Amino acid sequence: MKMKEIFITSAFTENSVWRQILGICSALAVTNLMQNSLIMGLGVIFTLAFANLTISIIRNWTPRSVRMMVQTLIIAAYVIIVDIFLKANLPVISKQLGPYVGLIITNCILMGRAEAFASQNKPLDSFIDGIGAGVGYTLVLLLISFVRELFGFGTIFGFPVFGSWWTKWSIMVMAPSAFFILAMLIWYINTTFYKAKV
Amino acid sequence: MKDSFLFPIIFMLIMVILFVGILAIMYRVSEPKIEAYKLDSFQRQVLALMAGKIAEATAMDAAQIMADYPSSFETYILPVELHDMDRQAFQAVVGDSVVAYCFEIKGKGLWGSMKGLISTTTDLKTIVDFAIVDQMETPGLGARIEEDWFLSQFRNRLFVQAPDADDVTKDYEFISETQEPETSNQLKRVTGATITSDSVLRMLRAEFNLIYRQMQGLKS
Repeated sequence: MKMKEIFITSAFTENSVWRQILGICSALAVTNLMQNSLIMGLGVIFTLAFANLTISIIRNWTPRSVRMMVQTLIIAAYVIIVDIFLKANLPVISKQLGPYVGLIITNCILMGRAEAFASQNKPLDSFIDGIGAGVGYTLVLLLISFVRELFGFGTIFGFPVFGSWWTKWSIMVMAPSAFFILAMLIWYINTTFYKAKV
Repeated sequence: MKDSFLFPIIFMLIMVILFVGILAIMYRVSEPKIEAYKLDSFQRQVLALMAGKIAEATAMDAAQIMADYPSSFETYILPVELHDMDRQAFQAVVGDSVVAYCFEIKGKGLWGSMKGLISTTTDLKTIVDFAIVDQMETPGLGARIEEDWFLSQFRNRLFVQAPDADDVTKDYEFISETQEPETSNQLKRVTGATITSDSVLRMLRAEFNLIYRQMQGLKS
């Protein structure tokens, strides 16, 4: 597969969230604000790309019996590298992120791509696949958080859109709203682009 | 070789040593920067919470006092020793007079511990300013206790009402974020974060009881 194809398949055609229903927990947890979603997405893109690259480089020497432990170790190491880097060099952003960086370790898309792609493909292809999967995930987070922040706070990326007359929808700030929006998004995409039967 | 008994163990061991080694080196190299930033932001916060009182006593502008950090911190802020309490305390001194106190406070939130700073008047009864320094609450929900509209509710609030009672603090109650307080003991809670909002109040009351008694003992 060409790199462009790998990227498009990973980001859109076989999107981890709307096609494989992975990464749902964090998609529900962090999507109340667009800024949180973007930062979480960038962290996931970095970790996915480099974890995929590393796992692919060592794939020929990795014994099958310990491969998942090795993958977890590599993913966790990259997440901690991101955390330390931000704390030392971008402390303000690190404080804003709070527990999000640590949450990346629990994202099942990382293990999913490591196991399904990186452990069987070349390093550069795996790197592109990681970026694609991360971009696809970030796109979903931003779509959900756009609706939640707009109706829940009346803002987009913290900038007021509706003004003081707007009555904030408290339900949009709370986790259950993400369930409804995500479900509607999956339904819409599957019926429109994949011709799924309703 | 990959299927032998020992290879997976050795492989895993090498990977662990390699990655833990990289992380350890990276952390050691970054540690001075991380610690320096933590100390700097803590001291700035302490100064910010007492800058208003220092400004009143010196006829300076609070913004100017903050702009002069770290020299203003060294000039006006002195540590206070609290016995048997694992908390830092500071006093703002102008000339020979103490103009405000600042205390580190700790409590439990919904998901873990939280840490704050409160500055008080010299009689220790009224909160001058309040900041959350560290918390582990839900981002976008409980974590909104760091927002200014929530914290500003506590500014210039009388907190010690009954100095001789078992609980020296005044009773406060939370109302919805969208409501306006009708009495002086009502505070707005963060929507969707009832437990976290209650935890903040609980922390303040518990810590005020401890600090008030400790400081009264020190003064007498």
